Amino acid sequence: MKSFKIEQRTNRGFEVLDLHGELDAHTASELEEALLKLIKNKKANIIVNFNGLDYIASAGLGVFMAYIEDVREIGGDIKLTNMNNKVYNVFDLLGFPTLYDILEDENMAVQKFLKEQ
Amino acid sequence: MNNNKSAFELKTVLETSRILVESRDSSFILNNLLLIIMGRLLATRSAVFIHDNTSNGQYILKEAKGLPHLQKGETFEISVPAAKKERSYFSMETVTGLEEVIRDEEKGKFRLFNLRTMDHHHGYLLLGPKANKQQFYKHELEFVESLCLISTAALVNSELFEELKKTHRNLDRRIHELNTLFDLSKEFNVLTDRKQIARIFKLTLLGQLFIRTFFLVYQNEDTPRLITYNGLNTSLSQQEVEKIFNEVRSDIFVSDWEEEEKHPWVTENGISALIPISIQNTQVALIGVGQRVNRVDFNENDINFLKSLANLAVISIQKTFFLEEQIDMERMEEELSIAKSIQQGLLPDPVPEIPGTDLAAKTVSSREVGGDYFDVATTPDGSTILSIADVTGKGVPAALLMANLQSMLHVLLPVEISLKEATERMNSIMYKNTPADKFITFFWAKYNSDHQTLSYVNAGHNPPLLLRNGSETFEELSEGGLLLGALESTIPYVQTTIQLNRGDLLVCYTDGVTEASPVNQEEKEFGVERLQQSILKNRSATTSEILDAIITDVNGYSHNNISDDLTLLILKVIE
Repeated sequence: MKSFKIEQRTNRGFEVLDLHGELDAHTASELEEALLKLIKNKKANIIVNFNGLDYIASAGLGVFMAYIEDVREIGGDIKLTNMNNKVYNVFDLLGFPTLYDILEDENMAVQKFLKEQ
Repeated sequence: MNNNKSAFELKTVLETSRILVESRDSSFILNNLLLIIMGRLLATRSAVFIHDNTSNGQYILKEAKGLPHLQKGETFEISVPAAKKERSYFSMETVTGLEEVIRDEEKGKFRLFNLRTMDHHHGYLLLGPKANKQQFYKHELEFVESLCLISTAALVNSELFEELKKTHRNLDRRIHELNTLFDLSKEFNVLTDRKQIARIFKLTLLGQLFIRTFFLVYQNEDTPRLITYNGLNTSLSQQEVEKIFNEVRSDIFVSDWEEEEKHPWVTENGISALIPISIQNTQVALIGVGQRVNRVDFNENDINFLKSLANLAVISIQKTFFLEEQIDMERMEEELSIAKSIQQGLLPDPVPEIPGTDLAAKTVSSREVGGDYFDVATTPDGSTILSIADVTGKGVPAALLMANLQSMLHVLLPVEISLKEATERMNSIMYKNTPADKFITFFWAKYNSDHQTLSYVNAGHNPPLLLRNGSETFEELSEGGLLLGALESTIPYVQTTIQLNRGDLLVCYTDGVTEASPVNQEEKEFGVERLQQSILKNRSATTSEILDAIITDVNGYSHNNISDDLTLLILKVIE
């Protein structure tokens, strides 16, 4: 069975979601729930750390598209960090870099958020 | 001095070629080319024009130095006489198309260099004049010529590399799309919940194609229905769903759709493409999509991928409907078998005995439930009611009416009321409660065993056959009136009383008996005559033996092809 896990923590006041395992059509709903909860609580500055993520399917990609507008509407952003090459390639192929900040590591995302504030 | 200079020039050429071999960036190559030449020849103005492969004679300005009034990307129609075209460089006389770049009186100070590889012309390099107003020397022009040569080669390489990179990326994308389709088909395969399928479809459209606004219509049982949608401003009415589904028969890009104004809903919701989906040459679905989140237009590949994706989803959705139909059918069968046992419970079992008579009755159903009915019941005054009926049609509707008739009969049983009046009441209730095409043929009789009298009303039923003791011919009990439920009770029913005697035999039947026929030979019905013969042949037997003999004859005649319900009620006076 494919395992997928989300852990939530904060880094200098910003919400961080650590993704582990494989994000596919089945597990996409877990990420949806996590994002929805953050949006509901007006925690809008979100960093998604892909360090532990091995694989992402298209439904998983869809989750990011599905909530980015909601997040930006309440004045926040989702920044994606620490992708492995395989995962980054998929994001890159589909043109995500024009819509999202995709950063090499989490601290860069934190710095960027701080600058934007 | 000259030697030194040419050695220096050679070194520059070598150095440049080394840089160029490494470079895959066309703008860097051209920039580098212009800067080296201008530096070495002390020229103040230069530019590179690259031939536009898509239109003959057109050149695009790629790089320019010292010509601030020019914009990169501008096009020029440069015309060079055939004789000059073959040369590596030439003066500007008789060249036209660059009037905007250099004034006529300066023409003599400029040179054009042919940018070419072995077999191909790529463009021109414009150069001139020197800041110190000196002439170009031959060795200088040759130096530029060699730089142009290696730069053009590098340029071609970089273009090839770009092309390759693009192809590679496209290929990568195709592979990714294939993988996505493969994953999804696995995913959809195990799903039986339409909501789940719709959810994954939505996320895939978003993640893969950046499509936020879409709707999917699926036609089930001839009615197109909205299955799922996202990002719509106004809801889509069922009427609009049907209109769009039925009128869109090929891929449509709304921007060049002639019937756009007929579907204002489409533009109001920013739908930019409508694509019908067919399975086995039948259009079963329609997908409409809005502009992408990143505003990039759809290309042919995107549309193909979208189609494959929608196809997968539609097949899965179709599967869920099939599955539901099957489950419904199984449930229906189960309910029918319950209905059958309820219906059988409505018939008297065992058939009650009437003093001084031998009585048998039976229904053979062709289906789970049917519209035939018989009854034998005692009235408060000690008489016995015998009845037989046939409801039009078959199956559940017929069975419901039959149950209705049975309950009416039993409600009226204890009421002091004549058969004739009771029949009228039953008729008016049936008439009010049933549609015009539903009615019942009904025969009933009240038998008084003390006096051996039989009063009957026949409401449009096949006349029961009465075979008197010792007679070879049959009397038909046909007096009564119209069948039940067809017309209002305007003409009263007629009630007839006859005297029965010992040995008399009464056979009541439904048309399932007389209309039985062999497979595909509907015209060869069993008929009343064969029924009479069967009765005559077995008249001395018990009623239940006669009943079985008739059924055996009907089965034998029709080769067991009994397609209707079949009911017999037989009474013999034995005392």
